[in-house]
Amino acid sequence: MICDRARRLFGACWDDELTQAERDWLEGHLASCAGCRTEYDEFSRTLELAGSLPRAEAAPGLVDRVLARTRRSATAPDVVGETRGRWVPAFAAAAAAVLTVAGALLLLPHSPWRTPTDPAAVQVAGVTGGPAVATMVSQPATKPAERTGTSPRIEAGPANDVFDHNADVEFILDPVTLHRGHATVTRAGSRRTGVGGGQAIISF
Amino acid sequence: MDRVAADDEKAFTELVRRFQGRVTNLVSRVLNDRECADDLAQEVFVRVFVHRRNYRHGSKFSTWLFTIAANLAKNEIRRRVRRRNWFSLDALQDMLKDSVIQLADPTESRETTLEREQLQATVERAIATVPEKYRLALVLRDIEGLPYEEIAEVLGIPGGTVRSRINRARGMLKRKLQPLLTTKAGTP
Repeated sequence: MICDRARRLFGACWDDELTQAERDWLEGHLASCAGCRTEYDEFSRTLELAGSLPRAEAAPGLVDRVLARTRRSATAPDVVGETRGRWVPAFAAAAAAVLTVAGALLLLPHSPWRTPTDPAAVQVAGVTGGPAVATMVSQPATKPAERTGTSPRIEAGPANDVFDHNADVEFILDPVTLHRGHATVTRAGSRRTGVGGGQAIISF
Repeated sequence: MDRVAADDEKAFTELVRRFQGRVTNLVSRVLNDRECADDLAQEVFVRVFVHRRNYRHGSKFSTWLFTIAANLAKNEIRRRVRRRNWFSLDALQDMLKDSVIQLADPTESRETTLEREQLQATVERAIATVPEKYRLALVLRDIEGLPYEEIAEVLGIPGGTVRSRINRARGMLKRKLQPLLTTKAGTP
């Protein structure tokens, strides 16, 4: 037990971190305990050997090589910024595409997300060379018996429907404004119906 | 460092000159690979230059420098472990022989020189086999002579952990050098 305590102090003794009382006690113990004295000699010898290794000198020309590299790096463009700039629009475009497909699925007649009473028929059109436009053309919902009639009765959609299915509605998924770190998709209102538009912000 | 941050090349050159030996020695002892140590020392100073404006004035420059060096050395060790491409210790011994001879006392006999070289090679080999996290702490303390507080900052660990790592590393090194110590201990 006393030897354990003494051996725990070897490191602090070597680092000259012992109090005077601790040092006196340790020296007293080492004088009377051959085992601990041998242990301390070996411990000291180990650290002497480690500390006496020749210092590795820097390679000749290290300064010049470092300077050459730093000069090159100082003139190099900021690749981090470029990399970030490349993936942000790609990711945002992918997010916008997902939104478009999700919107289209919602509007399909047999979509599992639609309510059975939903009367709308949907036509989705993309405009090439310009802003992508998803157009939903609402067809009047008619009962089979009324299809032959001369004046079909038009029924409004269910209350949970956010659109007026008796009118044509356009989703304009453009312009897509990209900012670093997030994409903002502006959805304009219908040109014909004047239904108010909204703005979707995708953050990632 | 203010001048370096302001793109003063002369100041940076002076800084590299002043610290190149310590950085090379540190990475050389941790990696036990002289050639790689030179490349890594170069990389350390390039990193210092690239991140010169990130240096916080509250801490010592040497602490920041050693942190970069220690991290690069750790990365290198891990890269080697991943690739299982450990260098040959015998090759290392051959490489070190040249520098050892250069530093040898010209008055000592051939036999003494040989004995000292063998001893140094054994110690280097023993240090190289101490596990990385203990080795780094050991080299920073017992070879570079950094205070415990600075080692804690360099390694990003609490002071108590530094002490325990150094104690364990010293114990490991002592056990590895035991055959040498039993014959040498007690001799003047």
